[in-house]
Amino acid sequence: KKKMKNLTLVVMLLCYSFASSSGDTTIHTNNWAVLVCTSRFWFNYRHMANTLSLYRTVKRLGIPDERIILMLADDMACNSRNQYPAQVFNNENHQINLYGDNVEVDYRGYEVTVENFLRVLTGRHENAVPRSKRLLSDEGSHILLYMTGHGGDEFLKFQDAEELQSHDLADAVKQMKEKRRFKELLIMVDTCQAATLFNQLQSPGVLAIGSSLKGENSYSHHLDSDIGVSVVDRFTYYTLAFFERLNIYDNASLNRSYDPRQLMSTAYYRTDLYQPHLSEVPVTNFFGSVMETVHTDSAYHAFSNRISNSKIKSDTPFNQLSEQDVKEDLRNTHNQNDELKTEKQKCPYSEMRADLHEKLKKIENVDTMVNLSIAVMILVVMVSSSLL
Amino acid sequence: MATENRDKEEEEVKTDDGSPKIKPRPIVQLGIFLISHSPVFSVVFSAAGVMALLLLPLLAKNTYISENALMPGSARSMLSHRDVSDGSKLVNDIKSFRLNHEGQGVEVQRLIGNYMLEMGAEVSYQKFQPEGNHFHPLHFFSGPASYTNLGNVSCAAYGVNVAGIIRAPRGDGKESIVLVTPYDFLNGGDYEALSLGIASSLFSLLARVTWLSKDIIWLVADSRYGDYRPVAAWLTEYHTPSFEVSDLSKCDELNPSDSFRRAGTVAAALVVKVDGRSERFEDTLSIYAEASNGQMPNLDLINVVNYLAVHRQGFYVKVEKVVSLLSSSWLKTVGEIFEAVGKVARSLNPDWKFGIPAADYLEGSATLASSLYSQALGIPTGPHGAFRDYQVDAITLKVSPRFPPDSKGRQHEFCLRGAQLLEGTIRSVNNLLEKFHQSFFLYLLTSPGKFISVGVYMIAFALLVAPLPMVAASLYIDGCTTQNPAENLKSWKWLDAAKQVFALHLLGFIVTLLPYLICQVPGEQSPTNRSIIWATTSSSLLLITFVTVPGCSPFSSRLHGTNWAVLKSVTISAAFIGLCLMSIINFATAEIGALLLVPMCLMVRPIRPDLRSRRVKSLVRALCSMVLVTIGFPVMFFAISKGLIGEGLVGLGLGGEFWTWLESLWAWKSATYLYIGMVHLPCWLLCLCILFHPS
Repeated sequence: KKKMKNLTLVVMLLCYSFASSSGDTTIHTNNWAVLVCTSRFWFNYRHMANTLSLYRTVKRLGIPDERIILMLADDMACNSRNQYPAQVFNNENHQINLYGDNVEVDYRGYEVTVENFLRVLTGRHENAVPRSKRLLSDEGSHILLYMTGHGGDEFLKFQDAEELQSHDLADAVKQMKEKRRFKELLIMVDTCQAATLFNQLQSPGVLAIGSSLKGENSYSHHLDSDIGVSVVDRFTYYTLAFFERLNIYDNASLNRSYDPRQLMSTAYYRTDLYQPHLSEVPVTNFFGSVMETVHTDSAYHAFSNRISNSKIKSDTPFNQLSEQDVKEDLRNTHNQNDELKTEKQKCPYSEMRADLHEKLKKIENVDTMVNLSIAVMILVVMVSSSLL
Repeated sequence: MATENRDKEEEEVKTDDGSPKIKPRPIVQLGIFLISHSPVFSVVFSAAGVMALLLLPLLAKNTYISENALMPGSARSMLSHRDVSDGSKLVNDIKSFRLNHEGQGVEVQRLIGNYMLEMGAEVSYQKFQPEGNHFHPLHFFSGPASYTNLGNVSCAAYGVNVAGIIRAPRGDGKESIVLVTPYDFLNGGDYEALSLGIASSLFSLLARVTWLSKDIIWLVADSRYGDYRPVAAWLTEYHTPSFEVSDLSKCDELNPSDSFRRAGTVAAALVVKVDGRSERFEDTLSIYAEASNGQMPNLDLINVVNYLAVHRQGFYVKVEKVVSLLSSSWLKTVGEIFEAVGKVARSLNPDWKFGIPAADYLEGSATLASSLYSQALGIPTGPHGAFRDYQVDAITLKVSPRFPPDSKGRQHEFCLRGAQLLEGTIRSVNNLLEKFHQSFFLYLLTSPGKFISVGVYMIAFALLVAPLPMVAASLYIDGCTTQNPAENLKSWKWLDAAKQVFALHLLGFIVTLLPYLICQVPGEQSPTNRSIIWATTSSSLLLITFVTVPGCSPFSSRLHGTNWAVLKSVTISAAFIGLCLMSIINFATAEIGALLLVPMCLMVRPIRPDLRSRRVKSLVRALCSMVLVTIGFPVMFFAISKGLIGEGLVGLGLGGEFWTWLESLWAWKSATYLYIGMVHLPCWLLCLCILFHPS
């Protein structure tokens, strides 16, 4: 009977560890954002403004700077053609300087390459790369990946020299999935024919939003006649207009639609890889850093063993109860068992622990037993070594 | 199995005498077909070539801004009325100064320089000498720097340029944009001074803006010796610094410590001139773009100026056109025919939209003709040509206000608009990241907003010269078949003809170089005298050639003479090669040359047998040959084209005129001169030989 119990214990632990490793059941613990502007040159001012606007928004909604990887392919703020040195605006009213005091650009200028981008996603860096330039996400991370630049059918141009293909992106995402670098990933792309970039994606947990369908262009929203360039793209402009009304505690869902007439292109959602329905997903899932709180009934007083799984589920519709919580609860149970020895628990693990405890108590001369067992061990070692 | 079948087929192809005859490939068959029917095809191709030329105005496309970085008109103009007032003040200062002071001093330049200094620019003065047109055959294609001779410097005649440089506040100083205002400091008119006002207004704005990425150079070119020379002198100094102290520096009162100042590579240049009063109700802007040897600036530069002038400032923009063509009735008829065809086509299928109104066609043709002519001449149409020698894109903008020069209120508004146009253009070029490279360099304009690209206009030329190799091959076969057919291809009969062709081309080369020697003849000669000297030496040289080279003369006996068919074949080949080479150097010259040379070469045959036969067909043919050969003589063609324009010239005056014209060609190092001397003239002489061939 004892053997049986041991066996069950081992099997249980195995099952447990296996279950906890699967991302689906991991709880959402942190948020990351990777914001990429891929194009150079002064006339692509708007792409940098797009990215910086998104940067500002996610920061405002609670993602800290250390969890944002900001990649800007050119420096418009310091371009000699910029009438407002060291400032970047995304609106002709010049209300918000996007390039304010605390902008941390992680990859700038010619550092923004396809290689570096893929390295950031997959986490394969050279040793010397500092932690601040790495995407240190884990299986509990929700990642927002925002990209803007010039694109075409299944590619996105980087730096006027190379391109990221949809295959590359899908491959990187798959690697991320296998390396458990995210729980959920939102890819948001504002380029021409953005939807084509998602064609090869296969990994579960990925939600993709693009600014235009195949064969469509994404247009800029308006021109700033002081600076002399277009300052924001339509898709990003209307996305920002939506976010500007939100604060960190808002419960707006991701399920919002863009008006194709305003956009002059058709926004595209790829949801087949993403389980929850969009109307149940709050935007702060990706754009903010809002964790759902798990209410445990018994932080300080006796723990009722029946963990109400159903109750928690109803509280948090978009996140199943994860095994981690169960584990926490079980630990509590052990502590209680020490005190409530007499009460037999239904949980087999704690039951076994209690049994063991009782058995140990029954043995009187512990020292002899220890000595004896040491002698036996030496014997075993000698026999085995002589055999070898 | 398959190989066996093929073997059988090959055996079947064998001819009766047993020698294996491999079936020629389709392309060879096509060639043989074309050669054997060459008379028909040469007529068809030549007619199609002329037709394609007439169709070009229909095929013109609207221009578009090709370079993304330019973004013309996207920025609001920042020019203020204060800037314009500053400019007007400069104009008034110069006017009053010139009223009070007479003479050749450099005070006006100093005045402008002080204005520049006040605006915060770096100022430098440059002295240059006027330069005569020295034709030196060895320096024909060499760079502009090589002919600067610092030899005899006289302090009597020199000009002084003023250049101000605004450094871009945050730029890297590696590039610059040049703004040129030619101004005659001795006798410049009120209109000319206005261009200084425009540039000065703009300069005072640019001195305080924060968006410059390229340095701005404002060059006030001293145009007392013509517009071109001061700009060329300044550019030479800019690009090839001379470390010797010029003697010129000793002979004036300017501060010698003023060293020449430079900025970075010149990205683009704009030459601004204010010309006499506009004929139209609006202010008129004329764009001149042709540089030496038909080189054009990048089309994007013209596009930007045209876009801003039309859509932002409301100028009436025009490019040069041949005015006499506008009233020509035959062209009008052609236009009406095309219009009618276009209408019919549209009624058949609404998607076919190639018809344009006859009036548009007429305008387009007149502009196209002017564009073609200016390029063919190879002489720059303004000071911008000097920039092209350094691969800098440049155009001349000639603005004509609609008001008389003394009305103050209008002047302010005019300066404002002119400066805004320049500001927009400069801001656009300032946005540029690389050299102009996106748009076309090879094009013809049919209006400021329409162009014909190289891919389209080459078709006309290709069709025109296509018959030449066909006819040459066919004639060669004809000329050789009189003897044993087996030795046809191995015969060296063509060598005699080639010798003759070579001798006459050599003669052409010598005749081309003769003017250099004639210019060395001491004494002041009139152009008429020089042309007479040239004509006599050339004719005597021709006679010497005929005497010394056996079989060269058309008057030699029949035994020594070559077969005329072979001679014509080699002549046509030489003409073909010459035309094709010229089309690479200067397309427009080759196009016009082909129009003259191709019919002449194709039609010409000995007239003696034709006259002897006394049949109508033969007589007409002989007449046609004679007419074509007469027109083909360069002097004759020159006279005819002069007559068409309306200046009748007969006798010796024509020779002088022709000499002056040629002199201008070589002074500007136009490849057209070489073409006339080394391709056209020998081919014409050869045609003459064929015409009087004693066969």
